[in-house]
Amino acid sequence: MQKIEAVIQPSRLDAVKEALVEAGVSGITIFEARGHGRQKGHTEFYRGREYAVDLLPKIKLELVVSDEMVEKAIQAIIGAARTGRIGDGKIFVSRVDEAVRIRNDERGEIAL
Amino acid sequence: MRGDTPRGELDRGLEEVRRGFLEDGDGLRAATARAAQVDGLVRRLWAPETAREPVLRSGIALAAVGGYGRGMLFPYSDVDLLFCVEKSTAKIAKQPVRRLSQVLWDCGIQVAMTMRQPSDCSRFDAANPEFGLSLLDLRSLGGDSELFRRLRDKSVAKMRQRDAKVIAAELVKLTRERHAKYGGTLFHLEPNIKDCPGGLRDAHVCQWLNGLRRGAPAPAPEFEDALAFFAAVRCFLHYRHERDDNTLDWQAQDAAAEQGIGLGARSRVDAAYWMRAYFRYARIVERCLARAAEDFGLRIEAEVPVRRLKLPANAGFVIKAGRIELAALGPSGIDAAHEPEIVLAVFAAMARTGAALTPAGEERIADAIPLLSANLEEGPGLWQQLSAILTGERAAMALRSMHALGVLELILPEFHGIDALVIRDAYHRYTVDEHTFVLIETLHGLEADPGPNAPEWRVKFRSMIRELQNPGLLYLAAVLHDTGKGRAGASHAAESARMARNVLARLEMDAYDSAMVMRLIENHLEMSAALRRDIFDAATVRAFASKVQTHESLRMLTLFTYADIAAVHPDALTPWKAENLWRLSMAANNQLDRNVDDERVHTRGSLDGTDASRARDEKIARILSLAGGDAPDAEHFLEGFPERYVKTRSAEVMLQHFAMTRHFAAEPFQIAFQYSPAVNEITLVTQDRPRLFAGMASALAAWGMNVVTADAFANSAGVVVDTFRFTDSFRTLELNESERQRFVASLRDLIAGRASVEKLLSGRRRARRRAPRIVVETRIEFDNTAAAHSTLLQVVAQDIPGLLRAISMTLSSLAYNVEVALVDTEGETAIDVFYLTSGGSQLSDAQERALREALLAAIAANAG
Repeated sequence: MQKIEAVIQPSRLDAVKEALVEAGVSGITIFEARGHGRQKGHTEFYRGREYAVDLLPKIKLELVVSDEMVEKAIQAIIGAARTGRIGDGKIFVSRVDEAVRIRNDERGEIAL
Repeated sequence: MRGDTPRGELDRGLEEVRRGFLEDGDGLRAATARAAQVDGLVRRLWAPETAREPVLRSGIALAAVGGYGRGMLFPYSDVDLLFCVEKSTAKIAKQPVRRLSQVLWDCGIQVAMTMRQPSDCSRFDAANPEFGLSLLDLRSLGGDSELFRRLRDKSVAKMRQRDAKVIAAELVKLTRERHAKYGGTLFHLEPNIKDCPGGLRDAHVCQWLNGLRRGAPAPAPEFEDALAFFAAVRCFLHYRHERDDNTLDWQAQDAAAEQGIGLGARSRVDAAYWMRAYFRYARIVERCLARAAEDFGLRIEAEVPVRRLKLPANAGFVIKAGRIELAALGPSGIDAAHEPEIVLAVFAAMARTGAALTPAGEERIADAIPLLSANLEEGPGLWQQLSAILTGERAAMALRSMHALGVLELILPEFHGIDALVIRDAYHRYTVDEHTFVLIETLHGLEADPGPNAPEWRVKFRSMIRELQNPGLLYLAAVLHDTGKGRAGASHAAESARMARNVLARLEMDAYDSAMVMRLIENHLEMSAALRRDIFDAATVRAFASKVQTHESLRMLTLFTYADIAAVHPDALTPWKAENLWRLSMAANNQLDRNVDDERVHTRGSLDGTDASRARDEKIARILSLAGGDAPDAEHFLEGFPERYVKTRSAEVMLQHFAMTRHFAAEPFQIAFQYSPAVNEITLVTQDRPRLFAGMASALAAWGMNVVTADAFANSAGVVVDTFRFTDSFRTLELNESERQRFVASLRDLIAGRASVEKLLSGRRRARRRAPRIVVETRIEFDNTAAAHSTLLQVVAQDIPGLLRAISMTLSSLAYNVEVALVDTEGETAIDVFYLTSGGSQLSDAQERALREALLAAIAANAG
């Protein structure tokens, strides 16, 4: 089992969700987030006053999938989230030791 | 055999009750029938006990209490039994009572038994309020009738009499705690029909409170109807869930609607329609309960501090001890409740102070609706009164009260379609009408000081709402924005706008205000939609800005969108979303005045298929159809105007401008003036000539008028339309009606050069200047990328009378031509945008430098 964390543009969320469902991913967790990578921020002017936009709105997704699903899920996210511009986001993958379904104490991949 | 056992007999009886309910859907009858079945069982089981132990024939009385005491047992409700015993019988009764309890449990009845002596029942015990409350519904089931009479007529009667106030206070306290568990609202997606506000428990509390008071009125017929409805729904839910589960979940709602549960006719209805009935009945219960509590001087909802308000002696009502009391007669000698002006003033006072009407006042107004309807006068006066209500800090409270009494629908019948209308998705928490009130509450909440650590967006939204030129327009748009949901149609926004058009016509609102409200309603979903796109993408922002058109519209739409999202669900508006909203608003603001000079109307072949262009083309088609035989000339008139002109004016207004061009031969300076006590509007239509805009700005300054917004456009034929909206610093026009005509004539003379602006200016007293709340630093920007052939100049400066004159005079003294002018005020900040040309082209760097210096000097001199 592996955990995929992806930081994406908020406007791509619906497309990414759809792509993941199509790829066979059953559950995801979504966070409203702020952050910046190489994109940094920029400055906006509003009626003569300056406002720094240093942290940009992002959406963070978390999903845990079986090993054989990992690549499929990554490709689904890339396919739906890529616009080719700076700020499209990042995907992080890490190993997960155990998953437990609280309702019935099922363990391992069956609990996903 | 089971058929001969007590359980078998009971089951047969209960099956008959169930079948009866399935046939007639009468919940009250079914609950009464089950109580009768259980009565029979208890009596049958108790008889052998007294036969076995003859001493039990006296000294013990069996009583039903609680819901069972009321003679109402829903299919899976608990059964509460009280054994009233003499001290001497207490011990001997224990075993028989235990045996009875055992058999009842074996029969599948959840029974709670209590054994008490009469003296235990004569005092309300605050430590065990449930027992005291259960005694309020007491019914004999058998045993020692003399003992029962003593229990009922002496002990319990004594408790009711002596402790009535304590019991009432305890009931209200328990109710308040229960309501708090449900967020204090009856508008739940999947309500618990027993415990939610407005549910069955509230109905019983209402009955108990009224039962505790001597001379309480008989229950209103609508209350009885609500009880019958809830009884049917509860029976339905119990049979459906096969347990005492009163949650009206999605599936149950569908099934109840399918069978028309509680609606009498038992025919299939739409689920949304059925839920509407549910909420209507819940509201009746809530209102009856509030009144019953009020009769004890208690309030179910937590008390809020009431603000003070000085009222004239002949207002027709007074505010006493936090309540609005309606006078018997108004100043004109007729019943105050029959005078629309007084009634609306009552709600304006409520909106300003937070004081509620007395129940008597509520009743008088509700009863007077037909007379109020006959006496109501529409027009600007009504808008003024409605605006006073909408802009009061507690407007939502006033609107809820008006809605409950039928006053809101009297003024705005369009609201009827969304009364208790449920949006059946998992996202909306409230019915559409309540959503509207929560939205308005949220908007007013933005006016409150957010404290020192508030995020940037919260501070900015507060200043936005405080700086609105006419906040009443935002609130009116808020009231009407979802009325279209009550109608069939592809887009509720378009349907709401269609209905709003009638309202605005009835209120006789001026063209500018109407257009603002209409634009806000038509576009009320646009900002939410843009938020789902990339808000940092220039194309997204440009598309959004082109729909909003003006800064005032953008401010209103930003605030509206914030409140609209927040009013869907308590958790819907996260700080993350609010921040994005603020970012989008800021980006659109910067985009708004760009490209105005380049985007021009070409009446032929301009279709590009976008929503915005479709709306524009529809408007142009409407003007041409209104123009009739003059359509070709009207088309010629529109050719070459910036799109901003078409998008911010109604077809009727543009047609009026066109008509004015027909009279150039008689008078080359055509002026349309609209007086208003708040913001006046003057439009000049004439052939383009140098210094025209500066001339208008100077003339208005000479009369002491303070320009709030203005714009100036020209078509391909060189016809200009300059519109100024201004306030009257000296109230010259308000106090002297005859001055209004002289003002227009004088303006015409000043622009035509027939009179001297300087002379008038020198004779004018200067307005006393208040120290500014915030100091705005002058900022001048040039942009040669916003338009192909002109230079965009933006001046941000402290809004001081004469500023626009100083700027426009500087522009004309340097012989720059103003192609388009867009003037706006935000609180104490003036934001003036001009598209300039010099000899038909953009300004050079050197010209820009010189202009900057000249402007800074002129602005400083005006401020001097």
